[in-house]
Amino acid sequence: MNEFNQAYLVPDGTDLQGIKDALEARCRIGEDEPRHLLRRFHDTFDWSLYLAGGVLEERIDGHHRVMMWRDLNDEVPIFACELERDLGFAADLPPGPDTERLARLLGIRRLLPLLDVHSRILTWRLLNEDDKTIARLELEQNRYDDKARERQGPISTRLRLHAVKGYEADFRDTARLLNEELGLSLVRTDLLLEALASAGRKPGDYSSQLNFRLDPDRRADATTKEILLHLLNTIEVNVPGTRENLDSEFLHDLRVAVRRTRSALTQIKDVFAPDVVEQYKDAFGWIGEFTGPVRDLDVYLLDFNAYQACLPEPLRPHLEPLRDFIHAHYGEEQKNLVEHLDSKRFRDLLRDWRAFLEASVPESSVVPNAMRPVLAVADDRIWTLYRRVRKEGRAMTPASPAEDMHELRKSCKKLRYLIEFFDSLYPKHEVRQLVKLLKVLLDNLGNFQDLAVQADHLRQIAQRMRDEDRASTDTLLTMGILVGDLLEHQHRAREEFAHIFAGFDSDEHQGLFKSLFDSQKRQGKGE
Amino acid sequence: MKIIASYNIKGGVGKTATAVNIAYLSAREGYRTLIWDLDPQGAATYYFRVKPKVKGGTKALVSGHQDLDDLVKGTDFERLDLLPADFSYRNMDLLLEDNKRPTKQLQKLLAPMAIAYDYVFLDCPPSISLVSENVFRASHALLVPMIPTTLSARTLAQLVDFLEGHDGLGKTNLMPFFSMVDRRKHLHLHLMESLPQSFPSFLKTSIPYATEVERMGITRMPLPAYAPSSNPVTKAYEALWQEIKAGIKGSAIWATEG
Repeated sequence: MNEFNQAYLVPDGTDLQGIKDALEARCRIGEDEPRHLLRRFHDTFDWSLYLAGGVLEERIDGHHRVMMWRDLNDEVPIFACELERDLGFAADLPPGPDTERLARLLGIRRLLPLLDVHSRILTWRLLNEDDKTIARLELEQNRYDDKARERQGPISTRLRLHAVKGYEADFRDTARLLNEELGLSLVRTDLLLEALASAGRKPGDYSSQLNFRLDPDRRADATTKEILLHLLNTIEVNVPGTRENLDSEFLHDLRVAVRRTRSALTQIKDVFAPDVVEQYKDAFGWIGEFTGPVRDLDVYLLDFNAYQACLPEPLRPHLEPLRDFIHAHYGEEQKNLVEHLDSKRFRDLLRDWRAFLEASVPESSVVPNAMRPVLAVADDRIWTLYRRVRKEGRAMTPASPAEDMHELRKSCKKLRYLIEFFDSLYPKHEVRQLVKLLKVLLDNLGNFQDLAVQADHLRQIAQRMRDEDRASTDTLLTMGILVGDLLEHQHRAREEFAHIFAGFDSDEHQGLFKSLFDSQKRQGKGE
Repeated sequence: MKIIASYNIKGGVGKTATAVNIAYLSAREGYRTLIWDLDPQGAATYYFRVKPKVKGGTKALVSGHQDLDDLVKGTDFERLDLLPADFSYRNMDLLLEDNKRPTKQLQKLLAPMAIAYDYVFLDCPPSISLVSENVFRASHALLVPMIPTTLSARTLAQLVDFLEGHDGLGKTNLMPFFSMVDRRKHLHLHLMESLPQSFPSFLKTSIPYATEVERMGITRMPLPAYAPSSNPVTKAYEALWQEIKAGIKGSAIWATEG
């Protein structure tokens, strides 16, 4: 709300005619035909606009379709513009400096409709002795409609008072009347938040980030189930968006949750029976496999502009057939992915896994770590993996084979996931520092590995394009340059490894790992 | 921000109806629009039901002591604001003369409005004066409504002479068009045929004479607000606005670009 635009809450059962009569006692009132306004609220699946304190409304009023970007709890738009095409990705937004911030918030995610609010608006115009409008009041009767969840219902009626420029004194008089004489209070809750709450939705309830609050003394098996249940929820919630391919992050988040699930299963050792671990490790490995091909193509498409940018200007157009080739094969791979997601095997897997996770842990267990306090198990596992990473890293020489680098990367990833699962058991600041450190090391190892895989994959694609007669000599040569460039970057990553690992393995960081996770040392200190 | 003046040396040719109706159409199309009623008679102000009064009068306004924005009144139509007339505008010439650059004062006063408006329409008083010269220098286009009569042709020639005789005004984007046309009159038809040959910038749209337009004084609102698009005069104003917009894109002067 700003100084000259205020909204009042009209409690249920308020005598609307009484409000009008009170106004009419002061001045004549002109009444416009009632109109209907549809507000469709949009956000990304991970609530990036809400988390940035913003609201994006699409307003459909008669034949007009307007996009309005505003702050939460402030109805004055930061900008508004006519909408000519449907909202979707950042690239679909109307161009201009105002939409750039919005585009940055969206990143690669797609805007999705959150819910609709339908309003029937009755406008009362307050007139002076010349029948000139000196202030406007809009009585807005609202209903929310959450189509996706098939829920709808009324939400609060609001009375909006708008000033007419040059007649601010009349605005203030009317505001006083509404507030002091009629006892109406200003609206405190954003229409979006009220509609979401009525629909039973909690804004910001999805994040791909882990955020556990674990009890250090709780049994390790029960805690591991809690972690895995959260990951299962993440997998399930991303399935519909992956099926419909709304944006590439659904599949990405799903795959990360699958990887984390496998990591939790195998790295939080000896908390479940070995046959359970074996069975689900393979089952989630299968999900990783069948979701891989589409993700590979997504990575190409996401990186395509960067690929082009690293080529000399005149060669860039020759890479376009590669983009066309990827698009041409995308549908086929996506179809295959959807078939797997719709399969009985997949459904049964998630159902059985949920049943296992939701079942109570046995009163007593012979599995060695099952009944230990989770902090003790976390200490052991993180400390063991850290020492493995350190050992593998220290053994690396410029002559080490690529497989060794790959093994080290796998160990690092496991370590990072473990620390992230259990971070709430340790001092926040120190743990964050270590995760950051691991990210730097993982980026380097990832570059080395992924660039080599991409280069190899590109060579295979070039072969297929040639076989299908879809690439000119120029295109093949350009792809060759790209392969060379990727290998060059990979080479550089290999050269940088020693320096980056030395940073990770500094005395200070060794001490930090030891003080946090070496339980013997901690006990020795009497902690 | 683009500034468009509705101007003619002669009175009673439809200047105010043009400014009011075209400004309304601009706002209806989504442009933030201001109309400045420069005529002390205050007809445009009357049409919008606003009191013809400016705080501090012309003196405060022309001296720059009063922000233009503080004097603006919202009309009953979305995105359309009005800077009202004031009877003291009759002395505007004298007050303008007291300024350092007396022919560019209006341009200077309007410059800060660029942040709030896409189009500004100036409804000018008849005559040719220092106010007129200020208007010519500030505007991106000069709309000249003309009744197709011989006297009108003469005043148009006078205007062209004036513009060509003054530094920096020779390239003014002049947009004459026929107004209050009565197709039953031979003279009207004859002049509508011949005059545009001497003045190639003549707009193709003409506004017919109609009692509908006179009703603006009774309804006190712009014609398209009460007469639907099926009405031939409303239709003519809509066509005129589209032609003005197209013509202003190539405008040679861009004096107060904001």
